[in-house]
Amino acid sequence: MSIYIFYISLAFYLFSTLFYLLYLVVYRKGVERVGYYSLFAGFSIHLISTLFRYIQAGYTPITNIYESLSFFALAIAGFFLYLKRFYKIEILGCIILPVLSIMLIWASTFPAEIRPLPPVLKSYWLPIHTIFSFVGNAIFFISFFVSILYLVVERGIKKKRVLPFSGRFPSLETLDLINYRCMSYGFPFITVGIITGSIWAGFAWGSYWNWDPKETWSLITWIVYAILLHNRLTIGWRGRKTAYMMIIGFLSILITFLGVNLFIGGLHSYV
Amino acid sequence: MSIVVFGLNHNTAPVEIREKLYISEPTIPELLHALKGHGIHEAVVLSTCNRTEIYFSSEEQEKTFPIIREILEQSFEIKPEWLQEHTYTFHGEDAYRHLFLVASGLDSMVVGEPQILGQVKDAYRMATLYNSTGFFLDRVFHKTFNVAKRIRTETKIGYNPVSISSMAIELSKKIFGELHQKRILVIGAGEMCEIALKHFKKEGLSEIFITNRTFRHAQKLAEDITGIPCPFIDIPDLLTKVDMVLSSTGSEKPIIDKELVQSMMKKRKNRPLFFMDIAVPRDIDPEVNKIGNVYLYDIDDLKELSQQHLSDRLKESEKAYAIVEEEAVKFTRWLEQLDTNPLITHIFEMVEEIRNSELKKTVQKLKKIDEDTLKSMEILTKTIVNKIIHPHVSLIKKNGSPEVLDMMKKIFNFEGEDEEDMDNRDEG
Repeated sequence: MSIYIFYISLAFYLFSTLFYLLYLVVYRKGVERVGYYSLFAGFSIHLISTLFRYIQAGYTPITNIYESLSFFALAIAGFFLYLKRFYKIEILGCIILPVLSIMLIWASTFPAEIRPLPPVLKSYWLPIHTIFSFVGNAIFFISFFVSILYLVVERGIKKKRVLPFSGRFPSLETLDLINYRCMSYGFPFITVGIITGSIWAGFAWGSYWNWDPKETWSLITWIVYAILLHNRLTIGWRGRKTAYMMIIGFLSILITFLGVNLFIGGLHSYV
Repeated sequence: MSIVVFGLNHNTAPVEIREKLYISEPTIPELLHALKGHGIHEAVVLSTCNRTEIYFSSEEQEKTFPIIREILEQSFEIKPEWLQEHTYTFHGEDAYRHLFLVASGLDSMVVGEPQILGQVKDAYRMATLYNSTGFFLDRVFHKTFNVAKRIRTETKIGYNPVSISSMAIELSKKIFGELHQKRILVIGAGEMCEIALKHFKKEGLSEIFITNRTFRHAQKLAEDITGIPCPFIDIPDLLTKVDMVLSSTGSEKPIIDKELVQSMMKKRKNRPLFFMDIAVPRDIDPEVNKIGNVYLYDIDDLKELSQQHLSDRLKESEKAYAIVEEEAVKFTRWLEQLDTNPLITHIFEMVEEIRNSELKKTVQKLKKIDEDTLKSMEILTKTIVNKIIHPHVSLIKKNGSPEVLDMMKKIFNFEGEDEEDMDNRDEG
C-alpha cells in the first residue's frame, strides 16, 4: 500500500521537476508556482506514505537503502520548502528537484517489501539516531548546492562577467546567510545523530566506538563542520571559505552514507 | 476620423527649444481647454524633458493645424520658425505606430527606459480627467498600453540597467540583496558622487557617510543629501563600519591600498565590502579586488558592463519593433473595419451623444459632486452603454446581410450615406 502512495508522490515530484526546469527556460513566476505547489503536494503524499509504512511495518522505516533514500529525499524536500518560505531561492529548486527525483527513482530500484526487523535494529534508538542523522544530512545536502551556487555567482562578480540567468540568482549575502542557517541547524542534528549512534553501539555491539568505517567517516564529517562553525563564529570565515568547507563536508557525508555501504562495508552494513 | 501627432523630441530639437516647449502638468488643463475652444475635443498632451507631443483626432486637419500652432506660439512665446524646423507630424497608422514606439521606450534617448510608459499613462489620465478623450483616442491609448506591456513581457528590452549609477546599484544588490539596511561611505563630494548618491538614496540606505579632503565640501553635500560628514583621516575607521564605498576624488595617487583593506577586513570579520571607484585616475588600488570578500569595480568595469547591457537592449529592440509593426497593422485593420461601416460609427456616436447629454443633466441636478463620484459615473455609464451596443455591433460585423443591416438602420435611426458621400469621405 505505502509503495503505491510513494509512486504517487514520485509522480508529483517529477511534475514539479519538469516545471522547475521549464522555469529555467521561460522565467515566469506562474511556472515556478506550479512547481512549488506540486512539490508541496509531493512532499505531503510522501510523508503520508512514510507514515503508512511506519504503521504497516511497526518500526521506523529507515532500515535499508530504499527506506533511507526515501526518507532522505523526504527530509530534503521538507527543508527546502521550509527555506523557501524565508528566502527567494527559486533557482535552487531547478537543481535540487532533479537530484531529488533521481534519488527517488534510484531508491525504487532497491527492494521495497516490508521485512521483519533484524534483531540488532530492534531498539528505541532506531528512530532517534536515524531521524537526526538524516535530517542533518538533508540540511547539508541543500547547503552543498547553495555553496556551489555561491561559488558560481561570486566568481562572476569577482571576474566582472555577466553570467547567463544572473538576474535570477539570489544575492551573495542571502546565499551566505542560508549557508550559515544550514550550519547552525544541521550541526546539532548530526551531533545528536553521532552521539545517539555511539550510545546505541554501546548497547548493540558492546563498545561505544569501534572505528568502524561508518563511524570514522561520520567523525570526519563532524570535524569538518565543527571547524567551519568555530571559525565562522570566531574569525569570521565567510563566503568562499564557507562554501568550500560546505562542499568538502558534504562529500564526506556522501562517503559516510553511500560509499561505506556500497563499496567499503563494515559493522554498520544495513544502511 | 483620424489620429494625428504633432510634436518634437530629443532627435529633432535641441534642449533650448525643448525646455521652452515643456508643458508642465498644471498648465496642461489650460491647453486642453484652449484646444476645446477651437473645436478640438479629443487631445492628449505628453510632455517630458525629452519630448512634447500633442495627440489629437480630427476630421479636418488643415483647419486644426494652424490653430494648434497659434495656441502654442501664444502660450509659450516661441518663434513660428521653430515649430517649422523642429517638429514632426504623423497621421493615421504612422501616428499610433509612433505612440507605440514612444510608450515602449523605443523612441527614448536611452532605449528601453521604463519611465516613459508611466508618463504616457499620466498624460492620458490627465486628458480623461478633463474630458478631452473620446471613443477614438481611448481606443488608441488602451491599445498602446497593451502593446507596451506586450513588449515588456515578450522582449528583454528593459531587463538590464544601463546608466553607471544603476549599474552600481545592480551590482550592490547582487552582493547584498536589498540595500535598505546597508551603509555607504562616499569619498569625494563632486558631481559624480552626488548623482550616484541620489540613485543610491532611493534604495533606502540606513546611513550615508561623506568624507572629503576639504571638509567644508563634505559638509555641504551631507546637508543636501542628509548624510553624515566625516573627516578624511577617519577613512580606515569608516571602512570597518560600511558595506559599500563610492569614491570619486581628484587625487593623483590611490587613497586606499591593499594593506589597509586587508587589515580592515580582519576587523570586519570578513563581512563583504564593495568598492565602486568612479574616479580617474583611480582612487583605489586595483589589487584590492584580490582580497577575499572584497569586490572592486572601477569606472571602466562599470562602463563595460553598461555597454554590454546596452547592446543587449539594441538586440532586443529589433524584436520590439517587429511587435510594434504587427500591432500597428492589426490596429489599422480593426479601424478599417469600423470605418468601412458607417453604421457602426453612427451607432457609437449616437449613444455617446446620448450618454454625454444625460450624464450632464444628472451632474447639473446633483450639484455637489466630488471628482471620484464623477469618475465612477463616467465609467458606469460607459460600461452600460458599451455592453448594450456590443451585441448589435458584433451582429453587424459578423452577419452583414441586408435584412440585418436594414433592421439596425431602423433601430438606430440611420439615414445612410449614398455612394457619392462615401467617395467624398475617402478623399477627405
